[in-house]
Amino acid sequence: MVSEMKSPLAVQGLCKNYPAFTLQDVSFSLVPGSITGFIGRNGAGKTTTINSMLSFVRPDAGKISFFGMPWDENEQEIKAKIGFVSAGMTYHTRKKLKAITAVTKAFYPEWDDGAYRKYMGVFGLDEEKTPAELSNGMKIKYALALALSHGAELMILDEPTSGLDPVSREELVEVFLNLKDEGKTVFFSTHITSDLEKCADRILFLQQGRLKADDTLEGFRDTWRIAECAGEIPQEIAQAACGKCRTKDGYTVLVRKEDAEASAVREASLEEIMIHLEKEADRE
Amino acid sequence: MKMLMKEWKLCMHPMGYIMLLCTALVLVPGYPYGVTCFYMGLAIFFICLTARENHDAAYTLMLPVSRRDAVRGRILFCSVLEVLDLVLIAVFILVKKAIGDTPNPAGLDAGVALVGDAMIIFAIFNLVFFPNYYKDINKPGKAFCFAAIAVFLWIVLEIAGTYAVPFFRDVLDRPDPAYLSDKLLFTFGALALFVAGTAWSIQISTKKFEAVDLSL
Repeated sequence: MVSEMKSPLAVQGLCKNYPAFTLQDVSFSLVPGSITGFIGRNGAGKTTTINSMLSFVRPDAGKISFFGMPWDENEQEIKAKIGFVSAGMTYHTRKKLKAITAVTKAFYPEWDDGAYRKYMGVFGLDEEKTPAELSNGMKIKYALALALSHGAELMILDEPTSGLDPVSREELVEVFLNLKDEGKTVFFSTHITSDLEKCADRILFLQQGRLKADDTLEGFRDTWRIAECAGEIPQEIAQAACGKCRTKDGYTVLVRKEDAEASAVREASLEEIMIHLEKEADRE
Repeated sequence: MKMLMKEWKLCMHPMGYIMLLCTALVLVPGYPYGVTCFYMGLAIFFICLTARENHDAAYTLMLPVSRRDAVRGRILFCSVLEVLDLVLIAVFILVKKAIGDTPNPAGLDAGVALVGDAMIIFAIFNLVFFPNYYKDINKPGKAFCFAAIAVFLWIVLEIAGTYAVPFFRDVLDRPDPAYLSDKLLFTFGALALFVAGTAWSIQISTKKFEAVDLSL
């Protein structure tokens, strides 16, 4: 765990109540220069968490600080150091990119035109186009180019790879890895866990508004094993098994590594862990 | 200035320019001239609608500005349009005087008092529209309905006043330069109302926008 002062983002005890949903006591901090995947099924509270972090919604409780600075007193300084990209949100779709850029850059004294040209070139973006003329992947790349040109050190991305084809997703994963190489911190929410297997250093797993895991990717995966059962679940793991999932050959269940040592089990992928834990939560 | 530029470059709707031109309706004989101000209100509604469709709030709030700056930027930009509307109304009043004026049976004549009347209409619009709009920026139509009702109520009262209220009928609705000092006093009072009303609108709107959870 990184100290609050050094962390690009530290969240403590974040709570938000809605009539049909509660985000409960979410706490985590990001490691500088790392990629953190924020996973959970649709409706788990990922977007609510991100919106609370960025003050789009007002949390009922909790402390949020960026680079050791609380949001309320340092909003402008913080915003100059972060970039936010949401896949479902495209701004001013009928304006040319150069018009949006011209307006955006006026707000950032640290704007770097050289970096902007570089990223527009790297991402293959044409300033004469409008966002409406770009593919979803290109829209995200444009938003990233804007953020990187004002010197953002932390990129917050809400479902950036949703709705993208596998090739575009792979391209974005490469972009995230390059950003990490440049020392940037990347935080992105997704339910497409295979993208995280390729790039994430840490995993935050949110389930029904509660943070269920905060671990390294390897640590999180190593906690669990998958047991494949043709018929009944073997006696030795039946007590510890969670999230029974139907497969074409029988069933799979998730078991903790320490409960499965005597059984025929294999490593679990992030997707399998998430699905089985969600199944278990539904059963409970 | 940066926020005004942002509003103009990204949020300005063509209706804004068209409705500025609608101030030429002051040249039409027998027309309720206050309605030209309502048209500008309609343009402001279109600007807010365009902003919603383009996720402008999310874009703006990710810039290094506060919610207060976002509110102030939008309302001041719309106020600039209203001031341009007032200037054009004044210009067309002068044009009308030059080409020959006739008394207006549908409300105030085209004269100094009409500029004051327009300022009152904008003050009412700003005070009703923006605080309702910033309660929920995804429902500009609802805010516009409230503002339109308030503005039309004033326009109806103003027209009725030119028949029934002595100050309106015998002073404000007389051809210029009759009672010019009274009309100027009315217009300066209306200017104070416009400035104070807009400032108050910014204050209330900011308070509402600060408290609201945004579903962007």
